[in-house]
Amino acid sequence: MTASPIRSAVGTTIAVAAVAAIALGAFGVQQMLGQLAFVATYAIAGLGVILIVGQSGQISLGQGALLAVGAYVQTYLCLRGWPALLALPLALVLGGAGGWFASLPARRLGGLYFGMSTLAFALIVEEVLVRWESVTRGSAGLAVPAFGAGGWTAGSPERQALVSLVALAAAFWCCRRLLASRIGRAWRAVRDDEVAAAACGIDPAETKTRAFVAGGALSGLAGALYAHWIGFVSPEQFGLQLSFELLILAFVGGVRSLAGALWGAIVIVAIPQLLSPVRDLLPAGLANAAGFDAIALGAVIVAVILFRPQGIAGRGAGPGD
Amino acid sequence: MRAFSFTIASARLGWLLSRPFASCLVVLALSVTPAATAAAPGVSATEIVVGSIQDLSGPIAMLGAPVRDGMLMRFDEINASGGIHGRKLRLAVEDAAYDPKKAVLAARKLIERDDVFAFLANMGTPVVMATMPLIIEAGRPHLFPFSPHESTYTPLEALKFQMFAPYQDYMNAATRHMLASGRYARPCLLYQDDDYGLEVMKGVEAGLAASGASLAGRTSYKRGATDLSSQIARLRAAECDLVVLATVVRETVAAMAEARKLGWNVDMLVTASGYSAQTHELGGAAVEGLYGVAVLPHPYAETASPELAAWIGRYRARFGVAPNVWGAMGYTIADLFAQAATRAGPELTVEGFVAVLENLHTGRDFFGGPAYRFSAQDHLGNRQGRLAQVRGGRWEIISDYLE
Repeated sequence: MTASPIRSAVGTTIAVAAVAAIALGAFGVQQMLGQLAFVATYAIAGLGVILIVGQSGQISLGQGALLAVGAYVQTYLCLRGWPALLALPLALVLGGAGGWFASLPARRLGGLYFGMSTLAFALIVEEVLVRWESVTRGSAGLAVPAFGAGGWTAGSPERQALVSLVALAAAFWCCRRLLASRIGRAWRAVRDDEVAAAACGIDPAETKTRAFVAGGALSGLAGALYAHWIGFVSPEQFGLQLSFELLILAFVGGVRSLAGALWGAIVIVAIPQLLSPVRDLLPAGLANAAGFDAIALGAVIVAVILFRPQGIAGRGAGPGD
Repeated sequence: MRAFSFTIASARLGWLLSRPFASCLVVLALSVTPAATAAAPGVSATEIVVGSIQDLSGPIAMLGAPVRDGMLMRFDEINASGGIHGRKLRLAVEDAAYDPKKAVLAARKLIERDDVFAFLANMGTPVVMATMPLIIEAGRPHLFPFSPHESTYTPLEALKFQMFAPYQDYMNAATRHMLASGRYARPCLLYQDDDYGLEVMKGVEAGLAASGASLAGRTSYKRGATDLSSQIARLRAAECDLVVLATVVRETVAAMAEARKLGWNVDMLVTASGYSAQTHELGGAAVEGLYGVAVLPHPYAETASPELAAWIGRYRARFGVAPNVWGAMGYTIADLFAQAATRAGPELTVEGFVAVLENLHTGRDFFGGPAYRFSAQDHLGNRQGRLAQVRGGRWEIISDYLE
């Protein structure tokens, strides 16, 4: 039973190294580091989905709205002269508050009905962003200053990647601690059998709320970083498409494992970019076909689902499994 | 096997060093090498590389694909006739699918890997707003994006040029022109609830204010809505005699069809976004009589001049479909670029190219498009649109360019 896992690990390592090497050959360094910044940022958002969906077993169709909360709080504060580093904790806190608000219907609703309420939450947030023009400039959007602190700014891809990786490392560490704690065990108990969990003295509503607060805080953090890396926020960026993209990220990566967030982010963010140089090698008629990238990404996702139905990291069992 | 069981001693962050993840990081870290730079990016002895970030698979792919095809066609023609001072033009296109995240990565690829000389016709406001700072910072001209955002040409910056005015300008003039006919006393507005709709609203209100009128009613819809029955009922209740539509194709057809279904024969005026052959192809008799704002006339084969007919034939032969106004826009954009690059001379530099573009004055082309005039003080080449109307199942131009 030991040879197989080792072979598997070696195989995975070689595969990842080969893909990374090919990507580096195909792309410039700056672009790769830019991708790394987005992969890490999306992985943070993916962690939020994994806590809510994979660990506590709730359906969240409004994760994009929680990113929007973080992105807009960060943008608003930075535009009013707050240092980005000081604004970041507030974006995180208000993201958590958004998660708490989104979880309120869980006290009365369950399953798909609760999932629908998170969808409603996403629509409400998008509507607020459009209507509250004095703060958000409505659909016209807001330009976001570069991330920085004390004269140091993260304007270049390598600095953005560094900030994102540090934030991802911190988020991973917090999640590991959470999953190994009483809170994490309560999440899994509620996920596996809510009635049994309640019989054991666990308050399901409170437990779900904690998952949403933690997931919302992570989304707030990811949203704040996303705003800086994009440099422009508008309500349409945080619509349902983003929420579903994050769900796909979690399920492709492996919704039961924290590592799934990273693998899912690689698939969602980096694979479309990896396809770009492949397209350059194809005949113009095929390469220029509308939707080529979408079809190719869809094929990759289908392949992952077929060959790794529990997600890329799904076979592993972290402390949460 | 546990995916993240590879740990070092008692480190709590052992997961971070698990083999697959660590491999990625090591390879990435080892890859840091200085990028090659050139005095004139994208310009070699044999070619000029131009980049474009399009939507080929997202919500406005129906615009992105023909724009790209129009640009490709013009570049191919120039290359077939010897290129520009002996250099072939190459268009490097990236599909961002209207997603700013993909657009940022695409812009970096085009700057760093393809080393493009300039960006042409980037598609969509979120895409443009996310990528424009990167492009300007990299010292590449950002030319003629498909975005109504005024930051694409103001405040004045050396590398930003635009040939499409904000909807606000077009709709201001069109509204004034419609009211000047004296046929309308109760104008109303149906608008998409986003930046596009709000931009149109500002223009319509400005035009009405200049005419001493105001909106008798207004109502909105969410992007993607297919049923506009409640909005039309509301506008009808307001007794509107002219409805300005800040809609795209599908909603334009839906609004007209709903009104006609109710027997309400109100006049409607749609923005340039609804000025498309698809509007009358989808809408049929329901959209007969619809007014529209045209920046460039639609290239119909039936009424084409010999030169335009030849162009339509070449487009059909190249892409297998009839061209539309977006293809003509792509062609025009590529042609403007080529004109400036030709005048910049054999020693093509960004500075020389910008200096030429700042003095570029074009005439009317065979599409019947406007004359474009750029100057050192104004990088917006045109502010005027003209009115068209659906007559006999096709758009017919009914006015010259409106002041």
